[in-house]
Amino acid sequence: MRALLVLAGLVSLLAAAAAPAALGQLAPVTPESPNAESIRDSYLFVSIFVVAIFVLVEGLLIAFVVRYRRRQRGRFEDGAEIHGSTRLELLWTAGPVIVLFLIATFVFVELPGIVDEPAAGPRGALEIRVTGRQYYWQYEYPNGVIAIDRLRAPAGVPVRLEVTAPDADVIHSWWIPALGGKIDAIPGRVNRTWFQADRPGVYRGQCAELCGAEHARMLAEVEVLPASEFDAWLGSRRAEQSAGTSPLGEELWTGVCAKCHGLAGEGGIAPRLAGSLTLADPRAVETIVRNGRRTMPAVGAGWTSEQVEALNAYLEENPPGGR
Amino acid sequence: MAGSAWQRGRVASWLVTTDHKRIGILYIGTALVFFVLAGLMALAVRLQLAQANADVLSPDRYNELVTIHGTAMVFLVVVPLLAGFGNYLVPLMIGARDVAFPRLNALSYWLFAFGGTVLMLSFFADGGAARNGWTAYPPLSVQQAGDGQDLWILSLHILSASTLAGAINFLVTIHNLRTRGMTWMRLPLFVWSIELYAWLLMAILPVLSAGLTLLLLDRGLSIGGWEVQTHFFDPAEGGAPLLYQHAFWFFGHPEVYVIVLPAFGIISEVLPVFARKPVFGYKAIAFSTVAIGFFSMLVWAHHLFTVGLPTYLQAYFMVASMVIAVPTGMKIFNWLATLWRGNVSFDSAMLYALGFLSVFVMGGLSGIYLAAFPIDWQVHDTYFVVAHFHYTLFGGVMFAIFAGLHYWWPKMFGRLLDERLGKLAFWLLFAGFNLTFFPQHLAGLEGMPRRIYTYANEGWEGYNLVSTVGSWVMGAALLVFLVNVWKTARSGRRVGHDPWRANTLEWYTTSPPPPHNFDEVPYVTSARPLDDLRRKLRERDGARALS
Repeated sequence: MRALLVLAGLVSLLAAAAAPAALGQLAPVTPESPNAESIRDSYLFVSIFVVAIFVLVEGLLIAFVVRYRRRQRGRFEDGAEIHGSTRLELLWTAGPVIVLFLIATFVFVELPGIVDEPAAGPRGALEIRVTGRQYYWQYEYPNGVIAIDRLRAPAGVPVRLEVTAPDADVIHSWWIPALGGKIDAIPGRVNRTWFQADRPGVYRGQCAELCGAEHARMLAEVEVLPASEFDAWLGSRRAEQSAGTSPLGEELWTGVCAKCHGLAGEGGIAPRLAGSLTLADPRAVETIVRNGRRTMPAVGAGWTSEQVEALNAYLEENPPGGR
Repeated sequence: MAGSAWQRGRVASWLVTTDHKRIGILYIGTALVFFVLAGLMALAVRLQLAQANADVLSPDRYNELVTIHGTAMVFLVVVPLLAGFGNYLVPLMIGARDVAFPRLNALSYWLFAFGGTVLMLSFFADGGAARNGWTAYPPLSVQQAGDGQDLWILSLHILSASTLAGAINFLVTIHNLRTRGMTWMRLPLFVWSIELYAWLLMAILPVLSAGLTLLLLDRGLSIGGWEVQTHFFDPAEGGAPLLYQHAFWFFGHPEVYVIVLPAFGIISEVLPVFARKPVFGYKAIAFSTVAIGFFSMLVWAHHLFTVGLPTYLQAYFMVASMVIAVPTGMKIFNWLATLWRGNVSFDSAMLYALGFLSVFVMGGLSGIYLAAFPIDWQVHDTYFVVAHFHYTLFGGVMFAIFAGLHYWWPKMFGRLLDERLGKLAFWLLFAGFNLTFFPQHLAGLEGMPRRIYTYANEGWEGYNLVSTVGSWVMGAALLVFLVNVWKTARSGRRVGHDPWRANTLEWYTTSPPPPHNFDEVPYVTSARPLDDLRRKLRERDGARALS
């Protein structure tokens, strides 16, 4: 019996040692930001114990079932009359306590790297307001630039996010797996999170809190650009937005309208818009997006006049379903 | 039997019964019907998710099915199945003639049947059924037009009243009606688990009811021209959506243990009988039940790690959640030790109990990741969580319930379920279960959120397809089980009082027991009264042989 226990112990230790390598595939996606990396490290640390305990328990279960199966014994022949053991009870109370203590300690050691953003360089941190709405993400930059669904950010710079939702909307959850954990966008609250991506690229995520019919289509993307490229983009977008030539109108159509009405206005869970005369009437469009209509939420409540004008300009240029 | 002639009719006698055994069977039978319905909903959901960009269900229909599947599995299937076992077994196990309040007991059952019917029929309501998840978070749940969400609240109110009355009944019965010699330390472990189940329900159901009432008022009520419109969860008027989440999970997390403790209780009864040994560490298991019950009320906000709670609060809820792992681990090791040096046979009931052990461990271990709050920020609200709670609630609780059904079926109906069909169903269920839910861990880790009706990411397709195929295997397993029930009713092998040579008092009486349960009850001298009796008989026979 003792030999069996020692064997089970050894096997589970071995499995634990192999766990982080094997679990490389069974862990959160490849991190691209220090907070996501620390979370992944915590995950792998926990996995060491999880795998060890899993192998220990399943191993003992299988060993006992095989070793103590009935074989030629009578159906109702009694096994050993053992009622318990205080020493064993203490052992398997103390064991988990120690394991959990180690896990909690590791989490607390990693915590500052997850919660606190890294010290900003000479150009400081960038602050962006992220608003979750049915069913799109709106980003506001310090200089007033507004973007929908795709957030552009500079590489190597801490990006601070203020995540919220309008009072009349519902709860959403901001989550780009490669860039850290999720944080809810809750009406009436402002939550904060951050990321700092060093490698340019596009990182995808989506709303993680059920927010209505098209929750599944509330996708989010973060495009990380080299810092100089980002600066250039932000500057020109500012100018375009004032001049009414920015792609904001198109972003609004695809991000806000098309998820329910279809990209060509062909209709979806919401009515067909292609060929609708209402779309040609800027004031009617403004009234509807600002106030909603029947089951349509007030998707444009609180939009700036720049936003409304951008949408109307886009609709005039590109009437859904063609002219 | 008292009552006029019509009350003794074949059907009528079930409608008017106040016999705890019949009510227990009614609970189990009705819950199995809801199980089939909610299972079919899950199959539809899996069909929609089998492929990326599928078009089987509309978004609203998908959300309705997910919502009612979850709500029904918790409130109409698992809790009433366990209430059914509790009803049937508690009086028999403690040597009583019935529960303390038989008519209240009948009321509990009929409220349950009525509340369940309201929930199922809400699909036909104006605007369809509730579609905001089984958690029904405002503001989303306040905004759904039509009657579905209101009927959902009504149904849960009715079910809460039913469950609360049942809990009071269990407590009064266990505290007052134990037979001579049945001290607390001789109480069957299943009865211990029902004791804690009842206490927990008394503590948490009123909080749920309060939260749901506020939700109902926020949605607006109009009774005879009298309008009520509150703003508890509306930030524009000074309310807070998070208030609801706290109320819901103050109920919702202990509810998990309300469900799992009686399942643990079933396992603690089944394992020793088929290992032919006393349960290892009776006191440790009994006290760990109490400890789990107590700590379960101090951990609710680990469901709220992503709402922006202060870090110190999250740290507290992490540590508190981890504390529960200790008494739970104790139980698992004690069950394992119960097998040690036993004489283990593998009847279907035992297979389900061993299956429970092997999959429940998995659900417990994935829970450690969720308790560590920074890790939860990654996996919260993803398919990782869906996998986790199905490993505990299906792999854990439903496996234990099937163990209990196979174990107590001969007591309830006097016939053994067919062993070959039983084993076939078990292996299908075991394979189908792991096939369905293991890949969901991976989909979640790769970023697939729960409650999405479709996805465009083709990297998730493989996991989802395997999961859907697994759901069909599970469906097949349940069909085999239903065939077994039908076959057993027609031609199952009849058995005597105690086909398993078990330990507890329900096996002392006939199978099925008479309406009054026992002609006489032996004086209880240990936690295994029937084993004591058998030993006494052997000693007497031995003495006779010698003389």
